[in-house]
Amino acid sequence: MARAILERSPADQTEVLVAQSDAALTRFTHEVTNQNVAARGVEISVRAILDGQTGVASSNSVDDNDLRALVERAVAIARLAPKDPLQPPLPVGKTAPAPPNAYVDATAQASPERRAAICGALFDAAEHAECWCAGYASTSSSGYTVANSNGALASFDGTDAAVNVKMIGADSSGWAEAHATDVECIDARTIAARAVDKSLRSAAPHSVEPGAWSVILEPAAFGELLAYLAGHFSAQSYDEGSSFCSDGLERRYFGENVSIFDDYAHPLAPGMPFDFEGFPTQRLALVENGIVRNVVTDSYYAHKLEVENTGHALPAPNSYGPQPLHLVVAPGTASLDELIANTERGLLVTRFWYIRTVDQKQAIVTGMTRDGTFLIERGRIAGGVRNLRFNQSILEALRSCEFSSEPRRTAGYGFSTVVPAVKIEGFTFTSATEF
Amino acid sequence: MSEKSAARILDVGVTRGAEYVDVRFESARSERIEVRNGVVAALADAVSTGYGVRALVDGAWGFAASDDHSDAGLVAAAERACAIARAGASIARRRVGNPPPVPYVGEYATPVLREPSSVPLGERVALLLDAERRLRAGAQIAVGRAWIDLWDSRKTLYGSNGTRITQRIVQSGCGVQAMAVDAGDAQTRTYPGDIGLYQSGGWEIIEKAALCDNAQRIGEEAVGLLRAPQCPSGTLDVVLGGSQVSLQIHESCGHPAELDRVMGWEANFSGTSFLEVDQLDRLQYGSPLVTIVIDNTMSLGMATCGYDDEGTKSGLSDIVRDGILVGYEMSNDTAREIGRESNACVRAQSWSFAPMIRMCNLNLLPGDVPFENIFDDVRDGIYMESNRSWSIDDRRLNFQFGCEIGWEIKNGKRGRMLKNPTYAGMTPRFWNSCDAIADARSWFAWGTPHCGKGEPMQVGRTTQAAAPARFRNVTVGVGYDE
Repeated sequence: MARAILERSPADQTEVLVAQSDAALTRFTHEVTNQNVAARGVEISVRAILDGQTGVASSNSVDDNDLRALVERAVAIARLAPKDPLQPPLPVGKTAPAPPNAYVDATAQASPERRAAICGALFDAAEHAECWCAGYASTSSSGYTVANSNGALASFDGTDAAVNVKMIGADSSGWAEAHATDVECIDARTIAARAVDKSLRSAAPHSVEPGAWSVILEPAAFGELLAYLAGHFSAQSYDEGSSFCSDGLERRYFGENVSIFDDYAHPLAPGMPFDFEGFPTQRLALVENGIVRNVVTDSYYAHKLEVENTGHALPAPNSYGPQPLHLVVAPGTASLDELIANTERGLLVTRFWYIRTVDQKQAIVTGMTRDGTFLIERGRIAGGVRNLRFNQSILEALRSCEFSSEPRRTAGYGFSTVVPAVKIEGFTFTSATEF
Repeated sequence: MSEKSAARILDVGVTRGAEYVDVRFESARSERIEVRNGVVAALADAVSTGYGVRALVDGAWGFAASDDHSDAGLVAAAERACAIARAGASIARRRVGNPPPVPYVGEYATPVLREPSSVPLGERVALLLDAERRLRAGAQIAVGRAWIDLWDSRKTLYGSNGTRITQRIVQSGCGVQAMAVDAGDAQTRTYPGDIGLYQSGGWEIIEKAALCDNAQRIGEEAVGLLRAPQCPSGTLDVVLGGSQVSLQIHESCGHPAELDRVMGWEANFSGTSFLEVDQLDRLQYGSPLVTIVIDNTMSLGMATCGYDDEGTKSGLSDIVRDGILVGYEMSNDTAREIGRESNACVRAQSWSFAPMIRMCNLNLLPGDVPFENIFDDVRDGIYMESNRSWSIDDRRLNFQFGCEIGWEIKNGKRGRMLKNPTYAGMTPRFWNSCDAIADARSWFAWGTPHCGKGEPMQVGRTTQAAAPARFRNVTVGVGYDE
């Protein structure tokens, strides 16, 4: 289909992105399903470039006449667009093969009964613990093909399975998640046990005073926090001056133990080896031992900044600039249990909620704890605490921190990271809740 | 979709054991134009056509969406919806799904004064290039943006109970934004409001926004913020501009009043709610000045339609009356749980998503204070406009919001500009501190095009009409108060 579209395009340069997906999700609450859904579809997007003028049109019809009309629409839009003198040629590169286990047929073929079985196991655990639960089990497959008239042609198939559950008691809750490309690697009973344990151990929570605390953020909490730093590593943000590192690369912004990568091939989160321009994605060191080494680029920003294209383009049209979609943080040497044991007084955070940027350049963010926040006293979990709001610069947090030795994949809407737990000194909580 | 195709789906569903089936066919066209730093960063036109089948089997819902319009595709989607529902029923501890109580037959179309398609594309692009150019008030402007979004959706809902509803929904939006940068600081200003002007209607919405008339001021304010003093930290009176009041309603009333949240249907993700059912008709949510209503029939509302995506007819209902919690945003199933009837608050993002409770047009009724008098008896306070940062806990109590710009209020007069204004509080305490709402002349239908909820995440379009309002003894300057 992509080749046929390229052949019939009269544009100087043409790019075709074909994206297809089949995604199913069984969501539940109070031990009944409340969103039990599946959707399959395809989207064809055409980017036409005529002498620096660009137009993009997309459709979900694979009818031959509609595809012909789609190309004509993209070209017609391009003819009306002002020229962009910086528009580079569409890129071509030799893409790497997909990482192992990116696509698992058992996940792609998972039935509603398979998802129901996962949910049923969670229901049983909730009833046994005298909790109620809410969450989901999902399975999906997706495929991407990118081709352009300069010769690029790349295809990728991937799968994803996930479980997410919150166990809710009278005055507490606990939460756990799992993500894998293979649905057979999802162990519902283990996930349920983890969430139940958190819910039970945080029962009858006490209030603690806001202020500067030693905190240990479990991977879900740290991963979501880190997601708010991702955009700073975009060449667009760097170039426009809104990134913390706009003042220059090759400078130390973090502690010496902090190394952050963008790695689509990490075994815990194998992904697409090329970007949405079909250009090979580099496995890139963004931060090495506290020093910012690189920002990610696409063909446009590589051309504009006269640097290498790292293959991090988003689908056209893209006003967000290139983005790192696979952040990975290098682990430390101590286990999570050892981090806890080495904490005289602090807080253990399972998960954050509703993080938002307060100050762009200083990377100050605010957000709430939820679903399992614990007081640590003399190296032991002393009990649950009521939730707290934080206001914290991510830069400052990562100047003095210690990572656990156990990286885990964590994901939410708009981010997927592989991170360990992290212990941070002087993490600033500014207010508390009554629950 | 022809009636024949719909009939085929409904027939297959019923044959496979569904006690109720509906199919919503939708064809949606969207256009996005964005100018960024003098370059057209987006000029895109998307068309998406498909259908979603909802089947009720043994008291459990199943939903399957497809863009395969062949007979085999129609049959497969109907069978898949039934299979999903049956799998859900097999593990459910109780029945929650019920067929809609009443079938409706009807039509609705958004009133459009000027069809967006009648405006040449070149004219649309030229408008944005001009507006973006006017943002450049100084060398510190690092990013100028101007954008237009146009949506035109045609959908028909067929139900096995005889429901047949055809609607055309047209929504339009636009805005400009400037980001000024210097060493160590980046400041942003946006117009109109904090995300642009988004309303139902055609090109007349874009014309009303008057982007070019306001762009230079917005650029100047962004540059001015770099030099402005920091908003102080402490407890002060606060006056919020209309778009920020709109955001405050959205986050601290709109979401917690969704009955599915109240009942725990969003517990693992969006969260639950402090507006529990035993508080209905009792909770003093806000001061007696605070009345918040659902109006899905209002002109210009982003959620305005004839019928929701379950087929319930749009209408008006109260959420907060004279400060007391009196209602919720409801679907058929959730309303039944508390002995009420749906107030048509169910929407789906597109054909590929299952309908669920979404915040609709949820408006704070205007007060009686002329805006020019709302600062009069503020001795020491801050006036804040245009949201920049918003965060609230998963029960919707503890919030912290930041705005793009603020001004000092001293002895009833608006004074110097302040940067990084933030405020925080607990929802009922905050709304009970409201002692003035500006009158109807300042009341405006502020629309939001991207409200997120549900799993899979759905994006909803909603309006919270509001006027500026005054709040006493508010914690301000949070996040910058070391």
